[in-house]
Amino acid sequence: MSTPKTLVIGIDGAPYTLLSEYMERGYLPNFKRILGSGFNLAQMDASIPDVSSTSWTSFMTGVNPGEHGIYGFMELKYGTYKMSFPNFMDVQAPSIWDITGGKSEKGSTLFDRYRGKVDKTLRSIVLNIPQTFPAMPLNGILTAGFVCPDLKKGTYPESAYDYLKSMGYIPDVDANRAATDPEGFFREAFLALEKRAEAYEHFLNNESWELFIGVITETDRLHHFFFDAALDGSHRYHETFVSFYRKMDEVVGRLFDRFMEITSGAGLFMTMSDHGFTVIEKEVYLNTWLKENGYLNLNPSREFFEQIDSGSKAFAMDPSRIYINVEGRYPLGSVSDNDKRQVIEGLKKGLENITYNGRPVIKAVYGKDALYKGRATDKAPDLVCIAHDGFDLKGNLKKQDVFGTSHFRGMHTRHDAHCIMPAAAAPSERLHIENLADIILAHLIGG
Amino acid sequence: MEERSLHIVIVGHVDHGKSTLVGRLFYDTGSLPPEKLEEIKRTSEALGKELEFAYIMDNLEEEREKGITIDIAHTFFKTEKRRYVIIDAPGHKEFLKNMISGTSQAEAALMLVDVSRGVQEQTLRHCHILSLLGIKQVAVIANKMDLVDYSEQTFTKVKDEIIKVLEGLGITPAFVIPISASKGENVASRTEKLSWYDGPTVLSALDSFNSLVIEEKGLRFPVQDVYEIEGTKVAVGRIEAGVLRKGQDIFILPQNRKSKIVEIKKFMEDGLTEAATGDCVGLVVEEDGGLSRGDILEDCAASTVTDTIQANIFWLIDSEYRLGIPVKFKCATQEVNGKIEKIHRRFDPASVEIVEKDSTIIKPAEIAEVQIKLEKPVAVDKFSEIPELGRFVLEHAGHPVAGGIII
Amino acid sequence: MDHLTILENKSIFIIREAYAKFRNIAVLWSVGKDSTTLLWLCRKAFYGKIPFPVIHIDTSYKFPEMYKFRDEYAKKWDLDLIIGKNESEIEAGMGPTKGAKLDCCNELKTNALKQTINRYGFKALLLGIRRDEHGIRAKERVFSPRDENFKWNYEDQPAELWDQYKSTAEEDNHFRVHPILHMTELDIWKYIKRENMPLSELYFSRNAKRFRSIGCVPCCSPIESQASSVDEIIYELEHTNTAERAGRAQDKEDAYTMQKLRSLGYM
Repeated sequence: MSTPKTLVIGIDGAPYTLLSEYMERGYLPNFKRILGSGFNLAQMDASIPDVSSTSWTSFMTGVNPGEHGIYGFMELKYGTYKMSFPNFMDVQAPSIWDITGGKSEKGSTLFDRYRGKVDKTLRSIVLNIPQTFPAMPLNGILTAGFVCPDLKKGTYPESAYDYLKSMGYIPDVDANRAATDPEGFFREAFLALEKRAEAYEHFLNNESWELFIGVITETDRLHHFFFDAALDGSHRYHETFVSFYRKMDEVVGRLFDRFMEITSGAGLFMTMSDHGFTVIEKEVYLNTWLKENGYLNLNPSREFFEQIDSGSKAFAMDPSRIYINVEGRYPLGSVSDNDKRQVIEGLKKGLENITYNGRPVIKAVYGKDALYKGRATDKAPDLVCIAHDGFDLKGNLKKQDVFGTSHFRGMHTRHDAHCIMPAAAAPSERLHIENLADIILAHLIGG
Repeated sequence: MEERSLHIVIVGHVDHGKSTLVGRLFYDTGSLPPEKLEEIKRTSEALGKELEFAYIMDNLEEEREKGITIDIAHTFFKTEKRRYVIIDAPGHKEFLKNMISGTSQAEAALMLVDVSRGVQEQTLRHCHILSLLGIKQVAVIANKMDLVDYSEQTFTKVKDEIIKVLEGLGITPAFVIPISASKGENVASRTEKLSWYDGPTVLSALDSFNSLVIEEKGLRFPVQDVYEIEGTKVAVGRIEAGVLRKGQDIFILPQNRKSKIVEIKKFMEDGLTEAATGDCVGLVVEEDGGLSRGDILEDCAASTVTDTIQANIFWLIDSEYRLGIPVKFKCATQEVNGKIEKIHRRFDPASVEIVEKDSTIIKPAEIAEVQIKLEKPVAVDKFSEIPELGRFVLEHAGHPVAGGIII
Repeated sequence: MDHLTILENKSIFIIREAYAKFRNIAVLWSVGKDSTTLLWLCRKAFYGKIPFPVIHIDTSYKFPEMYKFRDEYAKKWDLDLIIGKNESEIEAGMGPTKGAKLDCCNELKTNALKQTINRYGFKALLLGIRRDEHGIRAKERVFSPRDENFKWNYEDQPAELWDQYKSTAEEDNHFRVHPILHMTELDIWKYIKRENMPLSELYFSRNAKRFRSIGCVPCCSPIESQASSVDEIIYELEHTNTAERAGRAQDKEDAYTMQKLRSLGYM
């Protein structure tokens, strides 16, 4: 008998290549077992830029940033250089659970395909997806993932908050400790994973639901600080790193078995990640490069992006977004609409020619129009860069040199996210994170 | 998006799901601020009830406890096409004056019928009121389709029943839409369960309605007041129909005197030569015209000047009228004392049966065809021709007691 | 006729009806944007010179900018300004101290207004309230009778149809008249822009903050906003969601977010 039930386990930043390698090495017996039972592991493309807020929003809305409007963790308030942090209220397209809830205030091309077909009795449990704060009411339960400044406001309904609070749920580990107190950081990461597993199993067993999405964040945290330990047997934390993956494998296995039991194998089971990871060779500070090449003037007496001074033509924001300092849009905008094209062309050439020890740094520079389509393109960056593996493009404003290193060891990759789903449901062409919502909805509702 | 918002009213028998539909419209169009939803939720929880969409309209503590909508409530929601001001008019008979106050402000109406119950008393009453108030854009909403297993047959039966009632009153509904408000089906989005229905959803039906169009008619300018501005007498008022032009000859009714417009005045807008329907302006007329409040200025003295009014009235208050009780007749800015001298017939609009011909009383919530005798003549029109001068309110002892239209 | 002109005509009609019916009326002016809009409409209705008093209820706790604005425009617009103050309570030290906010409002606003109405015997007061302000406003009539205790009997309100407003009955002490009931917050700002109306500087952003509504210093807090002109406020109203406008604890959340992002190298 067929059931709409769907379980998605998100594993933040878990790379296709690493999962394959660890399975090969026998570190992930449960993953191996799952793949042996009719499931398929595929390499998947993340969104551009490949930052969690953007990529997860692409996952949950099934549309490109041009429609959902999230281009990073921060943006500038309209008409100013002041930073703001878009949250779920700024997501312009409906999420999967908005669609199954029949909410129509936000339109999207995906929603259009399911308009009128939706069975609104479908109940969703959505745990820890980034960019879902503050929690909006839904038919089901939601607790927001990164960034969640207030667990109470990040959880709906309040009874779910009460439960999470009472069981010692950890919304996010303290990443600051990674550099100063690695042991403490690992302890907290293990505990956080344990608590998540406990909470997910609690909701899985005690609530009714058709769509269940639970995300594990700690993998991403581990990668940022210790990705160099992943494959290097001599690394001090290699064993710890692997044991974290073993633990994660156990959790996924338990959830998988429970799901198969509930659905008699007729539901849709999926694991996926929002991007891949690779080891950082060099951090590349785009704003310093812009400064050196005459595109950017900074006034160091001010803070953050308010440092941008008159005469600036462009600036960069994390992770690899470049905005043209256009007249009218920014207080000190100095590029007229007429000149914009020329500035973009010049920038593109310049960026593509950046090299490090004779090797090119940037694989591709995309213009806004090539990447984004939809109603929410007014906030889109004018250019986005994709770097070669190993070069982490950053938006820092206070670096002296274009290249540098820090305590970060891992960087996101766009091409190496992963997705496991039933071989029967997997499309034949290469997967993109924006495809998943449609696959899930088709299963929930019947395409 | 259209700049103007459309005022709509949702009427229907109590319990046919009005507040739920309103709540659903707000929720589905995302017009309900999250804080507001939270506030309603908290209150619902405090009262030990589950969240119902109906609470969105039922703002007052007391209403929540009683579980009914007492008064007209205006709220705003929007679609991609325009904003809507929604006037929720209570279905209960006791709240008739609130229902009529609300409905009188509407440009279009949704008439709600519970398909599992069909046309009931207040459905009939409200159909009459829509007709009396001259509301022409009407969509019938057949609600609670989920309770009848989405049966097309049941729907068609109710549809035929309501169309018969409405057409008997001169109203042709633009659409009859099967929905389930509580499940949100056919409100903003379609459902497969009603795949046999190929008409619009509630929202697309609303979007197909038009804002009131101002038709070209003869001039009606009721004088509201006369001010003295820098030594000149200025008669202020609102153009209820037609256009005003500087230099135009006018008739002053009901006296039937003649004059001429010397100047059209609006503050800080000099040199006006013309003003249109709906405009509030001041007029300087030749030799000041001896104007005062209640005078009606017209371009060709087309209104009827009379002290005897034939009208259909609807009785709004809880006590009955007896022949001979004095009333004040208020039409545009005219106010004249008088009394009802004949009650040709009266009936309860909720039952269709004529209660009595040549009666001496009118009971609460009844409609009556009457003849009103006034102490002095007024200038009026037929409601069907110029509604602004064809509708009136009767007061007794300072309280509005009836609304009426001139036939 | 455009949207704002329709709204304006409706307001002017109501103002003129109130004056025609009662003559002895007054308009309440808090110096805020809504009542300043109402005052502006009154000036239009009467060709520049408002023929009745303008009441400002002064709690003595208003912003200095408000007193300045009030006095400047009272003079410019030749207003017959009545300042209503509950002197005895102010002298007795009434203030919005802990737990006494309601008492303070009651004494310094409601009772001050009662005293003023009784002293002058006004038959009607024009008020700048809007329907979209709060759920309960949805219940308001344009002409709303109040008894001698100022009680509003919302359960049993007179019918109001076709712009025919209720005459005075025996038990009606005075009327509250609401000429801008039909306007929304956005309408008000668009009208302010169209008319190029003066407005207290408190509404406009200074140091990234502005007031969305203004009143007594101890009870008003500004919201986070960059909007420093009427145009920007309109943009903000049209493009931000309500929760953002509500002046919530945005600062705290931003600080947390910034710290989190920094820990992952995003700043």
